Amino acid sequence: MKPRRGIRAGIRRLFRLPPDRRDGIEAEVGDQIDLHLDLRTEQLIAQGLPPDAARVEAVRRFGPLDRSRSTLISSASRREHRMQLRDTFDALGQDLRYAVRALRKQPGFTAAVILTLGLGIGANATMFGVVDRLLLRGPAHLREPGDAGQIYLAQRFRGEERFDNNIAYQRYLDIRDNTGSFSQIVAFFNSKLVIGSGAEARQVQIGLASGNLWAFFGVRPAIGRFFTEEEDRIPSGAQVAVLGHAYWRTAHAGDPGVIGKTLIIGRTTYTIIGVAPAGFSGMSMVPVTAFIPITAGAADLLPQRAGRPPWYQGYNFTWMEMVARRKPGVSTEAANTDLTAAFRRSLAAEREARPSSVPPIDSVRPRGVFSSIIFDRGPKARASARVTTWLGGVSLLVLLVACANVASLLLARAIQRRREVAVRIALGVSRARLIRYLLTESVLLAAGGAVLAIVIAQWAGSALHTLLLPDFEWGHMIADRRVLLFTAAAALAAGVTTGVAPALQHVGADLTGALKSGGREGGLRRTRLRSSLIALQGGISVILLIGAGLFVRSLHNARSIDLGFDADRLLHVGLSMRGVTLDMPRQLALFDGVKERAKTLPEVQTAASTISVPFWITWTTGISSPNVDSTRLRDDYYANAISPEYFETIGSPILRGRGFTVSDDSTSPKVAVMSESMAREIWANENPLGKCIELADETSGCHTVVGVVGDVVRGFAEGTAPHLYLSWAQNPSRNGGLFVRTRGRASDVKEAVRRGLQPLMPGMAYVDVNVVEEFVDPEMRPWRLGATMFTLFGALALVLAAVGLFSVISYNVSQRTHELGVRLALGAGASDVLRLVLREGLRITIVGMMLGVGVALLAGRFLTPLLFSVSPRDPLIFGIVIVTLLVAAVGATLMPALRASRVNPNVALRSD
Amino acid sequence: MTEQLAPMKGTLDTLVLKALSWEPMHGFEITTWLEGQSGGALGIDDSALYQALDRMEERGLIKAEWGLTENNRRARYYRMTTAGRAHLRAEAARWTRYADVMSRILAITSRTT
Repeated sequence: MKPRRGIRAGIRRLFRLPPDRRDGIEAEVGDQIDLHLDLRTEQLIAQGLPPDAARVEAVRRFGPLDRSRSTLISSASRREHRMQLRDTFDALGQDLRYAVRALRKQPGFTAAVILTLGLGIGANATMFGVVDRLLLRGPAHLREPGDAGQIYLAQRFRGEERFDNNIAYQRYLDIRDNTGSFSQIVAFFNSKLVIGSGAEARQVQIGLASGNLWAFFGVRPAIGRFFTEEEDRIPSGAQVAVLGHAYWRTAHAGDPGVIGKTLIIGRTTYTIIGVAPAGFSGMSMVPVTAFIPITAGAADLLPQRAGRPPWYQGYNFTWMEMVARRKPGVSTEAANTDLTAAFRRSLAAEREARPSSVPPIDSVRPRGVFSSIIFDRGPKARASARVTTWLGGVSLLVLLVACANVASLLLARAIQRRREVAVRIALGVSRARLIRYLLTESVLLAAGGAVLAIVIAQWAGSALHTLLLPDFEWGHMIADRRVLLFTAAAALAAGVTTGVAPALQHVGADLTGALKSGGREGGLRRTRLRSSLIALQGGISVILLIGAGLFVRSLHNARSIDLGFDADRLLHVGLSMRGVTLDMPRQLALFDGVKERAKTLPEVQTAASTISVPFWITWTTGISSPNVDSTRLRDDYYANAISPEYFETIGSPILRGRGFTVSDDSTSPKVAVMSESMAREIWANENPLGKCIELADETSGCHTVVGVVGDVVRGFAEGTAPHLYLSWAQNPSRNGGLFVRTRGRASDVKEAVRRGLQPLMPGMAYVDVNVVEEFVDPEMRPWRLGATMFTLFGALALVLAAVGLFSVISYNVSQRTHELGVRLALGAGASDVLRLVLREGLRITIVGMMLGVGVALLAGRFLTPLLFSVSPRDPLIFGIVIVTLLVAAVGATLMPALRASRVNPNVALRSD
Repeated sequence: MTEQLAPMKGTLDTLVLKALSWEPMHGFEITTWLEGQSGGALGIDDSALYQALDRMEERGLIKAEWGLTENNRRARYYRMTTAGRAHLRAEAARWTRYADVMSRILAITSRTT
């Protein structure tokens, strides 16, 4: 009895017959049992039983029918499922092997696609790394970040609402004690402070925070304990410190015996009581060496001065910041209302204490705002962060261009493979399988791109960090799980996106047409799709290049602005007393000594005392003047107290009258110098010389105006502003510093100047020397960032678009060789053909260009706040970009066009 | 008919493999073959047989394919795999030795030391 076999499972797999399904399995098990019962019944009948009895006996002999049916079904479906899975993996493996083989046969094509996708995905991985750190990833170790936020206090001045995150400690106490919406309100202040002493001393990041910081985050110490709210009490808290984990590992080799040891921070000695968990840096964006109670830190940083209130009283000194956690169920609106009420109460208390210096509360419309815990998502987001957000979006456009380009390359390849694919379909390969294969191929290419992208991101990320965004901590892209995940997701998306169009081309293909025709016919529709892709790329290039142009001009404008002083070859020397307290005469003598020593250094041309520093240290004061209507006066003027050498040192011209002289000392009549714009604003065309001004909050009487000087830029946002100068000798300060005009490049002689001056400093005090250009420079960072990255991305998009255009036109020319041959044979000149092909390239380009220009015109106004004195519709930039694109288009089209014009009609007409 | 023996625990698999050692069979063929060869002495519970077949298929001792009986009815044919053949050889040797030992011991009539 030789059974005839059904279709073998292997053959079924080979031919991709639909696999058995569960109801199929049920039926099969049923069939098997039925057959058994039938045969048994027949057997029993043959043995002489009556049919009914035979059936009953057959069932009896079988045993528990239902139970065995269900066990058989479930184990059979398990087996079936396993087989299907293996089939899928087998097929995938087969597809992968086949794809690798096919791609290796075309190394040029493969390399081009991987490079294109690598650049596109790499740009995105880089930008994602930055955006993630700046805007997405909240502080590490923060529990339930949705309920946590930073508190800002807003007031209106001259019609403009200003948000403050820096506030006085007294304000913190008022807000903390008069609100009910928050489970914690944390006070914190991150600062570079000096730790250790002598040769070991160095400046590190220290986190000052109130005792509820730990509960706010919900962290536990790695070892030891955290400081408590009892240890954070005014006036000076407890001198205890919690080390940062990384510092503990490096400086103490992770030794648990560190507890109980001491650490000098500033001029105070702290006892180490614990270590924070790994990766915890509180509200700081860079790693923190140690956390100390804010009261202890403040008592050290803000020592009591005679005649002044202690640091924890009064509202003048705004330094620390607040973060808070909402109580469960409290809405943001309710929290804001609560904060606003507490802020009003606090302002009322302040006004009661100093009625003259606080404007009526209703006029400033105070508001408390509970905003994102991530600083750059709050109302005071830095321009760099906003530019970064834009760049994140722009990098997506770059990826889109890369994908369009790759899709176009794959389409071209698909068209070349039409016959091969048609043969496969005719031979019975299912279209689903074919699509799967084609997608495998494009995802494989994207995976190659992703690997390249990670390498690019690693390199570009660190370049971006050092050159453009130096002020926050940076990890390794390559080791960052979130960046890797993002890259993988981007690659998968890119792979599927680029693979879908060519795959659908094949599936929709006319089978017989493809089999009958040569490689030539039927490509028109596909070329149209490719042309639209190229137009899209052209459009995106235009958008990116216009963005680049706007930032480049902003940067150029900012660079060429006249600061009103010569920041070149200028150093600022700060005197850090570090707890060394001298009485006022000795302190002033030290200042003079340092200044005079500086002048004798060979590297130094001249030196002058100063309090404020443009772009860095600001001091403002209100004034009054007899016979001047107070409405003509501002609430605040920038002010500075300076020594006679000042204007010469910073390179600011004296326009009328005189500067200060050595005879303007504490014994002589008080004098003042003001900037041109201040004089004009107050006295219009009157001669300001000899006028009297009085300072608010002071009883020192008249300062006689003796000179008018040029305006200086205080910051790019404000530009020039009215500025008042007083004589240093008449308004000495402990907080002053020096400007030093050097002979060589400031950065080159900085160290020599520091070495020359340091010996004069008593005890632990030291001089802190900075290049003034470095204060100016960070303000240009957003534009430099925008200019660099937009240009890079724009250039990349343009090159990709040009390459894409080149390949489409070349392809079309090769497809039309026959037709062009006919034209030439019929008497068309080579120049006619040249024009024909060029026109085609330009048509595609111009469509894309119009699209891009349109989008750029619409989107430009959102970019305006990030630009510096340039219109987002700047015609020059638009013009340059349009010309660039046209040149690129002609360049990309010229070669295939020339080839077309040299077609030999004889050869062309004979070939297929 | 004498009283039927139920196969001893663990022996059904071996018996089924033996049945399949010449050619593929479907379930009912296996039952009738075993019943025939044992002269009706073995009483095999049909559901137990199918559980055994399923178990052995899972263990890779046999393979199942659909085929047609000589009367053109669809039936599931079981075929012994190489692993099954090896298993049968090992089990058969074990059983033969075991049965020898058993019968030798049980045949002893007087206690000798």
